Amino acid sequence: MARAAVVGAGMTKFGVHDTPLQELFGRAALDAFDDAGITPDDVDAFYFGNAMGGQTENDTHLGPKLASHVGMAGIPVQRYEDACATSSNAFKNAVEAVEAGVHDVALVGGVERCTPETGKDTPEMTRIFASASHRQYEQPTGLTFPGVFALFTQRHMHEHGTTEEQLAHVAVKNHGNGSLNPNAHFGKQTTVEEALDAPKIADPFRLMDCCPFSDGASAVVIVSDDYADSFDAPVDVSGIGHATDVVPIGDKDQPHVTQAARDAAAQAYEQADTTADAMDFAEVHDCFTGAEILASEALGLVAEGEGGPAAAEGRTARDGDIPINPSGGLKAKGHPIGATGTAQIVELTEHLRGDAGERQLDGVEQGVAHNLGGDAATTVVTVMEARQ
Amino acid sequence: MSDRLTHAEWSDAVEDGDLLGQECPDCGKVQGTPKAACPDCGSRGLETVELPSEGTVYTETTIHVPPAPIEERGYQVVVVQLGDARVMGRLTDGEVDIGDSVSVSGFVEDHEGYVAPTFAAE
Repeated sequence: MARAAVVGAGMTKFGVHDTPLQELFGRAALDAFDDAGITPDDVDAFYFGNAMGGQTENDTHLGPKLASHVGMAGIPVQRYEDACATSSNAFKNAVEAVEAGVHDVALVGGVERCTPETGKDTPEMTRIFASASHRQYEQPTGLTFPGVFALFTQRHMHEHGTTEEQLAHVAVKNHGNGSLNPNAHFGKQTTVEEALDAPKIADPFRLMDCCPFSDGASAVVIVSDDYADSFDAPVDVSGIGHATDVVPIGDKDQPHVTQAARDAAAQAYEQADTTADAMDFAEVHDCFTGAEILASEALGLVAEGEGGPAAAEGRTARDGDIPINPSGGLKAKGHPIGATGTAQIVELTEHLRGDAGERQLDGVEQGVAHNLGGDAATTVVTVMEARQ
Repeated sequence: MSDRLTHAEWSDAVEDGDLLGQECPDCGKVQGTPKAACPDCGSRGLETVELPSEGTVYTETTIHVPPAPIEERGYQVVVVQLGDARVMGRLTDGEVDIGDSVSVSGFVEDHEGYVAPTFAAE
């Protein structure tokens, strides 16, 4: 039985937007309403995600502002903040509320601006992103967010022999996928040679191993299982897992195994009465190339230690046995923090409806989304399937 | 009044060249940073322990694009295995790989006065 169903989806292009947050979010929300064929009057509640608007734009208490902008003032609105897992956490809570019968129809979405349009340059944005690492026990070392995933990836390379060239293959694949996605920040393909020649950011990561700072918004309309059949093309949410891991990194048992992702995936597969082997494709949180490799293993899509070879051999490519990030992922599609989680849900919805345009994968019936926050200490995993 | 290790006590020790951690008497977990309860079993009976000053590099990275207001580039951040605990710090000079031996060499202080231990290659 589905926990809820997505009946409307919308997102802006991810990239650079010289637009106030409410206007940016409004585009995604109105597209989601139109896709579902509803008006704001039909919506019972709004679950909203924004991670850093207070720091980046001096803009807080965004929920009512956004609700007012899209004609939904009056209904309950709640904002979620969970670093990069912000809007998937909003999504999880909305699904739980709909499943419990609290609401029939909810809007879920997120918005964020991270490019220099906010007035913040790269060193300042790097500092703001690093605020998701531990203030007392990590930030004083000068750690950055590329640094966090570099620490995980270096250990993974040590344990499993993962190579920089394998990391580059992830970047090449995702840029190739992004070139088919009109909403992607980067539409340009790249090569392994270009990736390996790029300037270093945090060993082993070079520029092409890192996702961009992006602006954007995404939104979905979800309804209860019973209500879903009155809509066109509902896509079922069959399982959602959510887990946390120990912070800081030094206190995690095995940082590179991303235990929260394993726990969240096990919950999601169990709820959906399915297995990793049954997934036709995945959208995973590839904030860095190494993160995609860790995620592919944590979700059980490839064997332990095989994430690097799987990327290099094309197993995770569009025509591979387990396509990962057909959207281009965070790496090419872009990463407007608070919009990323629901954008993955938008991508799953479009693919499962057979509505993903040039990037549509053949015959996909079941997919999984993996959205992590901070040093992977928050992870939300969602399994969705086409309604028969 | 709890006598569990606090951030202030941990920081004072770092400034003195000592690393303090916590050991859980119930499940045995040893961690390198203070908490109010054991993250594994929830026990509040955590005992403050002194960590060894020498250990091996568990993982590392070199930061080429620093966060504001740091201007230095190319510094190495390390997670060091010290006995049963791990601690994150900065390498003071040279370059180390996973598995290399390091020892506590002092501390760095950020723009707001928060400290982190530094390590040097053995």
